[in-house]
Amino acid sequence: MAVLEIKNYSKIYGGNKKAADNVSLVVEPGDIYGFIGHNGAGKSTTIRAIVGVLDFTDGEILIDGKSVKTDALACKRITAYIPDNPDLYENLTGIQYLNFVADVFDISAAEREERIKKYGDMFEITEALGDLISSYSHGMKQKVAIISALIHEPKLMVMDEPFVGLDPKAAFILKEIMHEMCRKGAAVFFSTHVLEVAEKLCNKAAIIKKGQLIASGTMEELTHGQSLESVFMEVVNES
Amino acid sequence: MSRKRVLLLRTLLLSTSRINKMKYSTDQRAKNKAIAGFVGVCILYLMLMVYGIAACVGYGVLGLIDCVPVLCAATVSVLAFLFTFFKSNGYLFAFKEYDMLMSLPFETKTIAADKFLYMYVASLPWYVSISLAMMIGYGIFAKPHLLVYPVWILLTFVLPVIPMLAAAFIGFLIVKVSAGFRLKNIIQMVLTFAFVILCFSSQYIIDALIRSGDTGQVLQQASDSIEHAGRIYLPIAWFSGAVREFAVWDMLLLLLVSVVLFELVFGIVGRYYRELNSALKSHAASKTYRMTVQKKHSVVTAIAYKEWKRMLGSQVYMINGSMGEILVLLLGIVSLFVNFDKLMQVMLKGAPVSAEILFPAIPLIVYFLVGMVATTACSPSLEGKNYWILQSLPIKKKQIYQGKMLFNLCLTVPAGVFSTICLSFSAGVPLVNGIIYVAEILALCCFSTAWGCVCGVKYMRLDWENEIEVVKQGAAVTLYLLPNMFVTMGVVVLVVVLGLHMNANLLSLAVTGLALVLALLSYRRVMRF
Repeated sequence: MAVLEIKNYSKIYGGNKKAADNVSLVVEPGDIYGFIGHNGAGKSTTIRAIVGVLDFTDGEILIDGKSVKTDALACKRITAYIPDNPDLYENLTGIQYLNFVADVFDISAAEREERIKKYGDMFEITEALGDLISSYSHGMKQKVAIISALIHEPKLMVMDEPFVGLDPKAAFILKEIMHEMCRKGAAVFFSTHVLEVAEKLCNKAAIIKKGQLIASGTMEELTHGQSLESVFMEVVNES
Repeated sequence: MSRKRVLLLRTLLLSTSRINKMKYSTDQRAKNKAIAGFVGVCILYLMLMVYGIAACVGYGVLGLIDCVPVLCAATVSVLAFLFTFFKSNGYLFAFKEYDMLMSLPFETKTIAADKFLYMYVASLPWYVSISLAMMIGYGIFAKPHLLVYPVWILLTFVLPVIPMLAAAFIGFLIVKVSAGFRLKNIIQMVLTFAFVILCFSSQYIIDALIRSGDTGQVLQQASDSIEHAGRIYLPIAWFSGAVREFAVWDMLLLLLVSVVLFELVFGIVGRYYRELNSALKSHAASKTYRMTVQKKHSVVTAIAYKEWKRMLGSQVYMINGSMGEILVLLLGIVSLFVNFDKLMQVMLKGAPVSAEILFPAIPLIVYFLVGMVATTACSPSLEGKNYWILQSLPIKKKQIYQGKMLFNLCLTVPAGVFSTICLSFSAGVPLVNGIIYVAEILALCCFSTAWGCVCGVKYMRLDWENEIEVVKQGAAVTLYLLPNMFVTMGVVVLVVVLGLHMNANLLSLAVTGLALVLALLSYRRVMRF
């Protein structure tokens, strides 16, 4: 069964502005799926609809076969979302925030301890977890958001520009984590502007322009031996 | 309450409480500020309690102690309704961490209800201070059975729930209606203003109908009106019945209705929660802009204009920042059509004063409304995380503050001057007096702007989670608002009383001079920050 299936999804603002128009795509277990497009193409709108934050006008979004519209809670239990600019509770300490998320997902004390330690050490942030989030840099907040997303071992990880603000080492670790998740049968769906990253990291990708999906498929199907950048420029200029 | 509801509420409270900051902040200044804020708020609660007890003593001395439970219930209910109405939409909808919370496995109903419960817990100390003070006052004079005290205390926690729910539900309806429009923010503001004006005018109409104007009976009439309110709004009667007559049924009714209404309201709100937040938080770029001729402005004007756009973009800022100006404009317009004497009788609750005596109070009455909130008290804090934009620009801090002050003057001066002229005209004030009053309101506006800026800059807080924390609850706004309100009320009385014994124009000129001196001192203080 597909981890994420978007069927004819449309989002219309203010009666006539189409932010997403009849978008359909499928993310299978083990996929690292890149979602590429210009600024304002509809990437974040689609991502926010997938994670149940934003209402949408038409179509259906299924996560592990369950509808985001009618079975939102079940979908959210197996999904993790990392926004491009995480708004965390600034006056909580890092560890308080991670415990809050772990409590929401009902993670046992031993499991959360192990995961927080594991990812905290990987991202070299364990020692700062006792400080207030308000004292963190953007990158540190991003790291806490990533750890909180991994705490319940999601089946689907949805990320909006996850590499923005991360240092090179943290970006490398995140990529490793994405691979590890996919080896375990989970899937990753993320938006990015960095085409080199998408090309190297993803096995599948979709290109969105003015709310419409103009190309999608496996990386080989999309590029045919060319670079993703040249394919992107080609299809964007064509359509 | 479900586990998740408790968990979210606990986290919301922890994330906004000063405790975490005091415990974990490494910045000693921030810690000290948190402690000072806590002490300041405690002093305020204490002052409120003293005022409450004093009011009860007044009722007790006049033999009206029996109406204190009803008065307590009415006061708490009205305050709970008003406090909630002005901030509920900022808390319930389109808040900063909406995306984070909605992506977690919480039911929408849980998030909405918890945001409401957070508001309830955060404002509870106000209601408890009032209620406990009245309970003490009642205890001193009525000497009730010992059981009255635990019942009173228990019901104090329940009493604000229904009016808060009513206010939150009206706020929800306003959002629901406005969400369907393109200019949702503006529609939301218009509807909110319309509702507030309706509330204010109906209060005065009811007052005018009930009161006869005989001041000898003012307190008795007040007590009658309160008893009358108990008959209209049943929870007041239930509270009163429970504490005066130990009516168990009344107590149970209050508890039961509160719980049932809570579940009902958040059942409905939860159903539309995602839809409404989606409408409020999503904006499609129109992409229709064509480059036109651009204008150059001075730095100060540019900052003032930026402040205007900031206000238009925030419903909380707009409503709280311009409420006084809207009310004062309405007062001015109404004064052109309603006889001045009648207007003053309604405003002053029928106190036996002639129009002429009130002449010197005109600019102060206008100032009471127009100076109620100075945008300069909250606008420095409202910069929040965007403060880096101004900080990184090649401009001096004083230019930033001048821009913010200019904006406040642009809001207050036209409204204040218009209303002063209208009221003076309606009252038949001689021309010379009228000119002095206009000068007085101008000086008062300058003072309010500069003093607001002193408070705003001195107690600037950029790490807020929700705009309401700085627009309605910030230390800067409280420090500006409360003394300003009480001192203005005192000066109104002083001017009217002194006006009987000396030249009223000289008195107005003295107030003008004093306001100008204070404005100048405040301005110089701002320039030194």
